Amino acid sequence: MRTARRVSQLLFFLLFLYLFFEAVYPYEVALPADLFLRASPLAAVASILASRAFVSTVVLGLVILALSIPLGRFFCGWICPLGTVLDATDRWFKRPRRKVGQRESTRLRSWKYALLVAILAGSFLSVQFAGYFDPISVITRAFTAVLLPLLTKVADTFVSLLGRVSFLENITFSAYNRLQEVGFPTQQPLVRGSFLILVLFLVILVLGKWSRRFWCRNLCPLGALLGFVGQHRLTHRTVSTACTDCGVCQLMCRMNAIEDGYRITRTSECIECMQCVDICPEGAISYRLGLPASSSHKGVDLDRRRVLGSLAGGTLAAAALSVGFVGRESSSSKLRPPGALVESEFLDRCVRCLECVRICSSTGACLQPALLERGVAGFWTPVADMRHGYCEYNCNLCGQVCPTGAITRLSVEDKQKVVMGTAYFDRSRCIPWYRNEDCLVCEEHCPIPEKAIRLEQRPVQLPSGETRLVKFPYVVEDLCIGCGICVTKCPVEGQPGIFVTTAREERFTARGEKVRKEEVPAYGR
Amino acid sequence: MRRRDFLRAIAGSALAAALLPEESAARFLRPADVPADLAVARNGEPAQLVQAAVEALGGMSRFVSRGDIVVVKPNIGWDRLPEQAANTNPEVVAEVVRLCYQAGAKKVLVFDHTSNRAQRCYLRSGIQAAAKEAGAEVSFVHEQKFRNVEIREGVELKSWPFYKDVLEADVLINVPIAKHHSMARLTVGLKNIMGVIGGDRGAIHNHFARKIVDLNTVVKPKLTLVDGYRILRANGPQGGSPRDVQLLKTVVASTDRVAADAYAATWFGLGPQDLDYLVEAHRRGLGEIDFRKLKIREIDLGS
Repeated sequence: MRTARRVSQLLFFLLFLYLFFEAVYPYEVALPADLFLRASPLAAVASILASRAFVSTVVLGLVILALSIPLGRFFCGWICPLGTVLDATDRWFKRPRRKVGQRESTRLRSWKYALLVAILAGSFLSVQFAGYFDPISVITRAFTAVLLPLLTKVADTFVSLLGRVSFLENITFSAYNRLQEVGFPTQQPLVRGSFLILVLFLVILVLGKWSRRFWCRNLCPLGALLGFVGQHRLTHRTVSTACTDCGVCQLMCRMNAIEDGYRITRTSECIECMQCVDICPEGAISYRLGLPASSSHKGVDLDRRRVLGSLAGGTLAAAALSVGFVGRESSSSKLRPPGALVESEFLDRCVRCLECVRICSSTGACLQPALLERGVAGFWTPVADMRHGYCEYNCNLCGQVCPTGAITRLSVEDKQKVVMGTAYFDRSRCIPWYRNEDCLVCEEHCPIPEKAIRLEQRPVQLPSGETRLVKFPYVVEDLCIGCGICVTKCPVEGQPGIFVTTAREERFTARGEKVRKEEVPAYGR
Repeated sequence: MRRRDFLRAIAGSALAAALLPEESAARFLRPADVPADLAVARNGEPAQLVQAAVEALGGMSRFVSRGDIVVVKPNIGWDRLPEQAANTNPEVVAEVVRLCYQAGAKKVLVFDHTSNRAQRCYLRSGIQAAAKEAGAEVSFVHEQKFRNVEIREGVELKSWPFYKDVLEADVLINVPIAKHHSMARLTVGLKNIMGVIGGDRGAIHNHFARKIVDLNTVVKPKLTLVDGYRILRANGPQGGSPRDVQLLKTVVASTDRVAADAYAATWFGLGPQDLDYLVEAHRRGLGEIDFRKLKIREIDLGS
């Protein structure tokens, strides 16, 4: 059984990796890249609770939630890619040796329920922090912000080293090129604040020093959700009379789910990894299907005080965050992806997984996780950093991989008509305006067929007395969609000669209607 | 051309002349068959046009010798479809590649330092697929391969990073498309060289005429072949609207890069003197701006 579980973990992890690397232009794929994110019951419940609407993309998450009622926390033990990573990294840590019967503390495991209750309370009050703790989001973020940039860096370093050895040069570059043809980045993706994402991910790994699957036991709110709904599961760990009370099963249980006496299982903690079945020296442990017998299992050990406490805590946190200050300037200079729902609904739905950031890095590379520009409540939601990258005119991929529909799925033709914002020249920095010399890189790159940036040629009297014809660029407001390529490509050092704001921005309702900012009463909260 | 190849060619021609029937031998030796230096092929499909124009210049073996490593440099700058005429026509590129191999090239490299994301441009321009099909090695530009080159004849630029493959190739064939460009007015061959340089390319755009000529003193294409199958008449260099595209069905090939650009300018109603970078290029001895001074051959493939 243990082998079967390991094979399942490996296959699902490989699938996760495959889907992660599949999330690149041109994205013509059989399986959606956000499959795992859609399959997360926590993201599903939280986004439905927050938006108070049925979110069709997360059906798979609901199916897994429903399956967990009879099957328990199988997702944690057999599927979850973060769980698989933890099983692998937990081996690195030496933990204090314990004697048989010396059980690890169970004190912390109720934390995850508290966290779950607080998250759901927040979701209900439209302050979404499920994504910060959802394990699929956690690992997708870490892969996007750290692993991929790191891989690119390592590959680049290898290539420049091997590329300098003359007889290896050709083979090195052609191998690298082959890799890029199948989707490896041609420019290193860099994610703002990746350091924090790395540190938080490492913390989750390092917690393995204290116990195996520390995160899953004590902190994971998805684990809590599945444990709660699956506590009366129909799969049972059954101990036969052959048991000699040796205690190895309890000693080895990665979830500390075996109660003293070794016969009773905490169904809300057990992830059905089947290790105990395989390691029992007497072969006394088996798994059976049937109605729960109260003598062999115990469910969630929640105390009411803690539940009420976390409910209150979550509510307070939500209330406190919802009055968070959102800077007018910082928020209007950080555009949302094209097709984003109106701000309040966007914040409800977004699970901060950064899948859109990941796929954007393979095309226009403008999307970045917000820090505090969109307020604390908008932390790690996607915003466009146009100086770093731009919204590619012919691209609609961010909406294709958004697991919760926070970014509307649009055809390329429809996306090309969505106004993300509007560009403005800064005449004190734009070369023709302040230096009276032609430049026009912005106009050249403007992807609008009729050109939203145009040039007007006028004679200018220079200080020397000489007259010169200069082409001055200007923005045609009605044509500009705020894609920001003019900002990315502006050759002015540092602060560019052109910038975009959310002026004239268009968003979408959950029903898919396009709306202008001024047409939405409660826009932006 | 190596000496051995040259001798072989002479011997071959003499033999062919001797063996051919009188009539064709006469045609073979007609003065009109002295290779032209600028050829214009009209009213054909891309591959035919390329064949005819290159043939009129004396065939690809005039430029490519057996065993050469050839860089064919199209414009793949934009995430646009062939019908939008923002990139060189893929069939034009493929045919040039084929002719190079027929002339004995050892390896033909195709690449461009794109403006939009490379993977998008390579795919949507159709050039990646077409050039590969013709046997070319199509690769993305790798940052590690740029080398700083001193520009001895530079006026504005004293040095600039150039792509190693271009610097080391035996032959460079420039295959630009002719397009409107709001600043340069027109982008053809000389400007297409911006696709083999690295560095901050945005900075090339002021004092453009002097800088683009500086860059062109470093790399010298033996053949410039201007794709005029479709040309972009307005809103270049990206275009996007079919209204701005004209189906011209023409290809110009020349040994003289300035003349090639000057000829293409006439399609846009511009005289060579209207393009200040061409004037600058001519003044600095890169080529002949008055293309009429060249030996021109015009071929009409239409019936």
